[in-house]
Amino acid sequence: MRKALFYVPLAAFLALSLFLLSGLFSDPRDHGSALIEKPLPAFSLPDLQQPARLVTAADLKGEVTLLNVWGLWCPTCNAELGFLTELRQQGVRIVGLYYVQPVDASFGDTFDINQLRLDVQDKLTEQGDPYLMNIVDEKRSLIFDLGVTGAPETFLIDRNGVIRHHHVGDINPQNWPKIQQLYQQLQQGGSDAP
Amino acid sequence: MRLKMLCLPALLLMLQAGATEDLLQFESAEQQQLYRQLTAELRCPKCQNQNIADSNAVVAVDMRNKTLELVRQGQNHDQVIDYMKQRYGDFVHYQPPFQLSTVWLWLLPLLAVLTLGFTVFRRSKASQTTAVDDRAEPEDLSDVAAQLQAMIDEASAKARHKPEE
Repeated sequence: MRKALFYVPLAAFLALSLFLLSGLFSDPRDHGSALIEKPLPAFSLPDLQQPARLVTAADLKGEVTLLNVWGLWCPTCNAELGFLTELRQQGVRIVGLYYVQPVDASFGDTFDINQLRLDVQDKLTEQGDPYLMNIVDEKRSLIFDLGVTGAPETFLIDRNGVIRHHHVGDINPQNWPKIQQLYQQLQQGGSDAP
Repeated sequence: MRLKMLCLPALLLMLQAGATEDLLQFESAEQQQLYRQLTAELRCPKCQNQNIADSNAVVAVDMRNKTLELVRQGQNHDQVIDYMKQRYGDFVHYQPPFQLSTVWLWLLPLLAVLTLGFTVFRRSKASQTTAVDDRAEPEDLSDVAAQLQAMIDEASAKARHKPEE
């Protein structure tokens, strides 16, 4: 009994070491999402191609969709465009949610959706266009409601408009298989839900 | 010294410039207090360990603006925290919720204190029993003394007989 007690500090030390060691391999950006299994928040935001047309959550329903938060200002998003375009060619439905950075009016900056459309067009002809359409979130309202912390981030949304997965960071050939598995599951089995 | 004297007014001017920047309007001192408390308690989800008052990440600025908007609408502390948690998860509040996955945050210190207390209690008991042993010692000593005395007596008896041989 006394001998066993002698090993208690050693065991406690090893347990603590293992716990801290596991921290070395965890991703500090990965702190879960509050919106998993929740429906896409209601929104009404302009389509980049035809700003007069307002896109709503209902427009995304019907098919499994990747909602990709991105911006021209974000280098990782631009690097991701090529791979996402490949995915689109494989038949993946990708909708862009354009992250507009705050403009500082005191520096004379203004937001011009027409200029943005031209800039985005240039970029997408150059890098590849993965998007079915782009939703422009000038005030970052939908982005806020989705709990987006930066760009790129991607949401996997099922046929009924329910968020099933939230991916922080870029999508690349290394991490796609995991998301693809979920995507295919939703495509095969998601139609029986109301 | 003269340079220092010149620096002081310049420094004061700088402070004033900093104060006029970002001037927020509140209806009451309570709302201002609540805003300060909330921006200190809410954690920036983009940064590593900064509250939203401390960070200028876009998301932190957006969260500050939203906090201000909600406070001005008259929402209380818990309502604003819930609003943020619905979007950014429990991560966003520095006070973790009490649930199954976080129960160790409270249990572990309690267990540590109890274990330590138990160990200290046992040790003090053990040292008390040694103290009892110490008190028993004089009896043993008197035993030894008696034996010694016997040996001395024997030796001196032998010594007394020796000269006669």
